[in-house]
Amino acid sequence: MMSRRAQENLIAAALIVLFAGIIWLCQDFGPRARMIPLPLAILGIVLTVIQIVWQNWRPAGELQMEMIEVEAPGELPKPEGSAAPAKKRITWRHEAGAVVIVLILLGLIFLVGIIPAVFVFTCGYFRVTGLYSWRASLIYTAVLTAAVYGLFVLALQIQPYHGLLEPLVERFR
Amino acid sequence: MLEAIAGGFTALLTPQAMLFMFIGVIYGLVIGILPGLGGVVAMALLLPFTYGFEKAATLALLLGAHIATIWGDSVTSILFSVPGSAKGLALCFDGYPMTKQGQAKRALAASATGALMGGIIGAVFLALCIPLIRPVILALGPSEYLMMALWGLTVIATFSQGSLMKGLIASLLGVLAAFIGMDVVTATPRFTFGSEFLMDGISFPVAMIGLFAVSEMMKLAIQGTPIVDRALVKEVSTVWQGVQDAFRHWWLVVRSSVLGLWIGVLPGVGASVAGLAAYAQAAQTSKTPERFGKGAVEGVIAPDATMGANEGGGLMPTLAFGIPGGESMALLLVAFIGLGVVPGPEMLTKNLDLVFSMVWIIVIANVLVTLIGLGITPWLARLPSLQANLMVPIVLSVCFVGAYATRSRIEDVVVAAIFGVLGYLMDKYQYSRANFVIGMVLAVMIERNLHISLTLYGADFLLDRPIALAMLAFVVVTAALPFVRNWMRSRRKTR
Repeated sequence: MMSRRAQENLIAAALIVLFAGIIWLCQDFGPRARMIPLPLAILGIVLTVIQIVWQNWRPAGELQMEMIEVEAPGELPKPEGSAAPAKKRITWRHEAGAVVIVLILLGLIFLVGIIPAVFVFTCGYFRVTGLYSWRASLIYTAVLTAAVYGLFVLALQIQPYHGLLEPLVERFR
Repeated sequence: MLEAIAGGFTALLTPQAMLFMFIGVIYGLVIGILPGLGGVVAMALLLPFTYGFEKAATLALLLGAHIATIWGDSVTSILFSVPGSAKGLALCFDGYPMTKQGQAKRALAASATGALMGGIIGAVFLALCIPLIRPVILALGPSEYLMMALWGLTVIATFSQGSLMKGLIASLLGVLAAFIGMDVVTATPRFTFGSEFLMDGISFPVAMIGLFAVSEMMKLAIQGTPIVDRALVKEVSTVWQGVQDAFRHWWLVVRSSVLGLWIGVLPGVGASVAGLAAYAQAAQTSKTPERFGKGAVEGVIAPDATMGANEGGGLMPTLAFGIPGGESMALLLVAFIGLGVVPGPEMLTKNLDLVFSMVWIIVIANVLVTLIGLGITPWLARLPSLQANLMVPIVLSVCFVGAYATRSRIEDVVVAAIFGVLGYLMDKYQYSRANFVIGMVLAVMIERNLHISLTLYGADFLLDRPIALAMLAFVVVTAALPFVRNWMRSRRKTR
């Protein structure tokens, strides 16, 4: 597994590439349009280089070499009458799983449209995590979807996105 | 004058006005809680239904809804770190840590009471200051606005504890993200890569939904436990504690309210800047600034008091000159036209009772919101202890629908997802998300006012504008204050 220092260096390198890209793009702008973005991007490179030097100079312990604790208990004062929070070791698999969850919802919205995606995603999530039975999942999800539809589409008059599959559905109508 | 005050109040005692006020407040609370939607959307959607009713009732509906969105925004910021709209952002910084420490009731109550006190101070100042405010507004120009925006940037140091470099880099990224789209000064498309969607820029509410809400849900999905696990963290606070907090910090409330009024009076600055500026002044003037960002109740009270007072401030230029202080006030101007009322100096002579009706609406709507808020706080405070597997799909779905709803563009959903992953990475590697957002909020204001100042007064515009120069000195002092304090503290320790 990649060390925390290597991860931090990777992020800093990506930032330098980003700032360099901005400087390059600024060359196409007029002097007024680039008056603020250009110096800021140059400043960004300078700060990132200082950060790289700083993080490689500091002892490894200060960089939190272990993967992050999402709860970050050390940052917050401990509440009264509370037990010590359990620490969960987070691996890249957990993080990839969270990204996949977001991508699945995004993909569903593009495919079937925004309101059906809410129904399919929420019901699926309840079932996959085993939170509710099929019947309970369907009932709760139907209530949520109806609430979202009522609020956004009926009350707020927002035209929902119908998804890429809509022409296919139209053909069979 | 007294007649107008009484007349303004009695106009609100009709059944229609009272019913409209109540409907407006409930509707505003719901809209405020929904991610991506705020006071502007609430008023815009009500506008078509306002024609043909009593003047006071129509204004009660519109202003009541707008005022209620303030606390509605705060609720989700405090409980889930999901700002309902841009102005609720500052509440995430300390409200959410308080929720995590089992102090959700206290935070919600302090927020509601702070908003009420700010709202009342704003309304009273509105009543008193309308005739006096004209010379003040006319004395300020783009150079002074530029200094105000720079002052907002000084809060960056507060969120850079641990690594100032990373804090500064995060704010630079935020500023640069705000420059995506058509440059309003030179009409140059910047960083758009030929995309028509990017010409409109990144929607600020959408970016916030991604950075805070989506990334928090990702963290929750990874963790698999509730935001507040009641087995580990008990709810240790009460609603009464929060109410007391707001009264105990009365001087902070007064200062924040005056700041909110001031920012409200300045056209085009906006409540999101007001909230951040209030947070900055609360942190900079605190004797224990290190508590900020970790659950300091002052960090909740100050932004809410400012935003409460901001409404009164925003009404001043709208009523006195017909210049809207922000988008919501522009919508109010449209309502005035529908009602046959002409804003301007005539408001203070022919329609003074209507002006006082609005003052009373602000007071009554704030009282209503606070009473409802305090009443439902015990139930709201239970929400963060819901299971992660229940929260993640529901909040994530509503956030994506909210992101779509801001401009009815599907690309905004993609932007929310991208900013969600970005927010997660920033949080993991300690690049402050708050600084990113602060940079994004203030960037356009800084750039626009700098360009206008240069055009109007030349490169040495500060020498032509003594008020701006004095404000710059104030900015430098307040920016240096946290560093001087840290230095003095470390010196004391070494002794």
